[in-house]
Amino acid sequence: MPKTKAKKSSLDGQSQGYKIFVIIVLALLAVFFIFPLYWILTGSLKDAITINAQKPQWFPLNPTLDNYVRLFQQPAIQWLLNTIIIAVAAMALTCITAALAGYALAKKRFFGQTVLFSLLVCAMALPKQVIVIPLLQEMSALGLNNNLLAVILPTVGWPFGIFLMKQFSETIPTEMLEAARIDGASEVRTFVSIVFPMVKPGVGALAIFTFVNTWNDYFLQLIMLQKREVLTISTGIARLQGEVSSDFGLIMAGAALAAVPIVAVFLMFQKYFTQGITMGAVKG
Amino acid sequence: MKRAISRRDFLKVTGAVGAASLLAACGDKAASSTAASTAGSTAGSTAAGGVEISLWTYPIGSWGGTTSKLDDIIAAFNKVHPEIKVTYETLDYQNGDNLVTSAITAKETPDIIMEGPERLVSNWGANNLMVDLSDLWTDTQDDIAAVSESVVSACQLNGAYYEYPLCMTTHCMAINYEVFEKAGALQYIDEATRTWTTDDFVKAMETVRDSGLAAVPGILYCGGQGGDQGTRALVNNLYSGTYTNADHTEYTANSPENVKALELLKSMVDNRSLNANAGFQASDELQQFANGTAAVTFCWNASNKAQYASQVTFTPYAMAFPSDDGVPELCGGIWGFGIFNNGDDARIEAAKTFIQFVCDDESQAAESVRLTGFFPVRDSLGDVYAGTDQAEQMGEFASLMPYLGDYYNVAPNWTAQRQNWFNMLQEIMVNGTPAQEAADAFVAASNV
Amino acid sequence: MAQTSVKDKKSAPKVQNRPASRVLARRETISAYLFMLPSLIFFVGFVLVPMGMCLVYSFLDMGIDTSAATFTGLSNYVEMFQDKTFIRSLWNTILIVVVSVPLVTAFSLWVGSAIYPMRSKLRSFFRCVFYLPVVTGSVAVTVVWKWMFNPYNGLLNQIFGTVGFDWLGDTRTAIWCIIMILFTTSIGQPIVLYVAALGNVDRSLEEAAAIDGATRLQIFWKIKWPQIMPTTLYVLVITTINSFQCFALIQLLTRGGPLGSTSTLMYYIFDMAYNYQRFGYANAMGVVLAIFIAIFSAIQFKVAQSDNG
Repeated sequence: MPKTKAKKSSLDGQSQGYKIFVIIVLALLAVFFIFPLYWILTGSLKDAITINAQKPQWFPLNPTLDNYVRLFQQPAIQWLLNTIIIAVAAMALTCITAALAGYALAKKRFFGQTVLFSLLVCAMALPKQVIVIPLLQEMSALGLNNNLLAVILPTVGWPFGIFLMKQFSETIPTEMLEAARIDGASEVRTFVSIVFPMVKPGVGALAIFTFVNTWNDYFLQLIMLQKREVLTISTGIARLQGEVSSDFGLIMAGAALAAVPIVAVFLMFQKYFTQGITMGAVKG
Repeated sequence: MKRAISRRDFLKVTGAVGAASLLAACGDKAASSTAASTAGSTAGSTAAGGVEISLWTYPIGSWGGTTSKLDDIIAAFNKVHPEIKVTYETLDYQNGDNLVTSAITAKETPDIIMEGPERLVSNWGANNLMVDLSDLWTDTQDDIAAVSESVVSACQLNGAYYEYPLCMTTHCMAINYEVFEKAGALQYIDEATRTWTTDDFVKAMETVRDSGLAAVPGILYCGGQGGDQGTRALVNNLYSGTYTNADHTEYTANSPENVKALELLKSMVDNRSLNANAGFQASDELQQFANGTAAVTFCWNASNKAQYASQVTFTPYAMAFPSDDGVPELCGGIWGFGIFNNGDDARIEAAKTFIQFVCDDESQAAESVRLTGFFPVRDSLGDVYAGTDQAEQMGEFASLMPYLGDYYNVAPNWTAQRQNWFNMLQEIMVNGTPAQEAADAFVAASNV
Repeated sequence: MAQTSVKDKKSAPKVQNRPASRVLARRETISAYLFMLPSLIFFVGFVLVPMGMCLVYSFLDMGIDTSAATFTGLSNYVEMFQDKTFIRSLWNTILIVVVSVPLVTAFSLWVGSAIYPMRSKLRSFFRCVFYLPVVTGSVAVTVVWKWMFNPYNGLLNQIFGTVGFDWLGDTRTAIWCIIMILFTTSIGQPIVLYVAALGNVDRSLEEAAAIDGATRLQIFWKIKWPQIMPTTLYVLVITTINSFQCFALIQLLTRGGPLGSTSTLMYYIFDMAYNYQRFGYANAMGVVLAIFIAIFSAIQFKVAQSDNG
């Protein structure tokens, strides 16, 4: 469907002047948005004196890999791996549980429905800071201290996914479910063969949202993970940042290691990302 | 609305979700294997044959930080005590306290922790989380007292010793020697004693400002959580005020001497011979000193000098804080070990063995101190740097040791007062609140 | 899930007659809860139970030595409303949400509409560019921004020629710096969403309206806006969530300073619990924040629902 947009300029008939204005504004903003990543990448190749220089060096004239050598003396690969594990596990678990629950909330009438849904909506934006102390004690009681699950499980418990999937499931025509029931399909078969295919776009949107959010959820990782071998890339970088001395070269190398894989994934799968969300236009 | 969904799109999404769940399956496996290994390490004490203990260190020279020498230290320890396995974590000051708080809340504290009495004694010790280390002190108390009585008193609370110290230093400031030389400001410092009077300090900073050789003469950092010792010592020394009363029970920042000092600093900020930055932490100020933007730093010691050695292209010259009577009283830093009480006697014993080895073993103690970049707390160790290639650079800091002043960091409400202190500096230096008013507010908020 | 199906299968087929509606209703309730069971385990276990504990702790004077906690009734709550930093933090939290949610929504809609008619290569390029700060990670982005804001050699002062100005150290500008960085890390997803949503707008309606002589603005409000409304709802929700979760920025850049001017409730709760180790007080603030957010979410949801319907 994107292909068809090529020749509809007459309709969108924006004036030439406006188009140029848009391009200039966007280009300026683009610089602003690209700059942090550019600075991280080039900064990771600078030595200690250059990176902290009074006059910034816009391009590393004497690039060095020293920062990366020192970064890999830290368990940086392990950190990256931990981050991926956390983000992927939280994403998959959230998608599965939320798809099931969202369907039930949208398409079934049951006792306590309104109360439950209101509760979920109210808890949706709840920051983790509120429950951090009890959560920490709970994890310790479950023996999950310093375990990646201590970050994964609360992320899955977060009800935004249920809300999103409920909104999606509303779009399923009730007649189709009725028809399936008349045909004698079991609940599970109905879900697998009718409901899930129809809410897949929503699952895609939820997957992306959960993945990115978990990847960036610095707080929970900071609180739950203390041992070096279970750190994530964000908390790992933060740990490289001391109070009296910030080794910016090392931090930039760590930041680059954190950013490059996910940026690459995004560039490669841009279509999937955007199409996953395309259909994520919550119920109309 | 959903008619646009093609079959191909479905397949893509299915594929993505499928791959995701596959990865998740592996992920869970990896997570649980991590769990297993973690569980293994904490249950170490019951392992056959030996004991396993964990050590967390803040960045204290090469004992912590990103280029920690802990592996060497533990290897040396294991030569003598192969039955005790030591694992370690290096904390940073930015988040270190958070991690320890998390560990305490989760009841998963390390066995040994390395930091100063303001954390070990005043915080964790006072909260009954630490083991009394009196037995470690029996043979060495006199030796430590010979260096400084205040080290002995700082490590104890209500008769119990919650810290066994390894090293100490005096926090000082530093100047950019070349800038001072070119600006003609060296005349204001006494190079023989590394001291200067308050008047000379004011003149020197004005000379540096007028020379234009540095973007700013000096930066008064008013943010963050650490490096407060620098600004405290600066304020207290200018007119010989004190930070607390003699018993360390009340803060006295609103005394006439301190208020006068704060007013002087404010006037220097106003005439641009100093800058005040509310958004700056000590590390930011140091960074600006290291790259030559600022001509002085108020947060200096041997460890910081070593950390920034690869970045500076000038001579950082250590100085005492300026004082009206020319006799500075510098803040001391004390670092040592404490043991968290986890109720397991075998691990507590092993932890004590480790501490005794690194602090008191004849072959190891001097090296342990050298790795911190500071000075021994035990008189009998003498000059641990003599004959090493660190000797020359440690000399400048050694010459400041005699100016060690009162160790008041054990005063109550320490964490809260630190934030209040920085807030007070911001109020005065940046927002222009009268010094007396802000200092009174500080005292009112900090004294409990 | 497998067990669910077995149970349901036994009874579900061919029970078509209405009289047994009570049985049916019960069965539907059971099957609904079975579908929700996995989610509910996580939600109850890791959100509701901790929230309940949080409520209990809020009545205690509890420090890091949790065994020494004492009951203090409502004193934490009383203290809160006399605590200037708390009031300030509450205000900042509201400010961030109230400023950034509409700003992000409006701006991303503008960018979305601006790049949507472009050639697909260019469109992809801009979409990626605005998504970059999202995927770079907040910790990494924060490190760069900290340098950009540096008063002496930061980029911003060099551009504006204001060397020496302390962006993050000035009580007037600090919170806006935080909001701006939050903005750059928040608009990526909404833009992608809007570009996609605009692609789904029914073109025949647009063409018909254009033939009838509708202006571009009219076409936008009468035709496009209703069709992208669901996306807008979604954008509002995720932006609100993002704004409430804004933490790393504050912790790494300003630690709530200067003088509490960038402290949000989320940060202040953390600060109270972790730096001051006053767990009881922190939890009491948590309870208040939770109530505040619940009300906010409920209102937002109601408004969006009625707009939608």
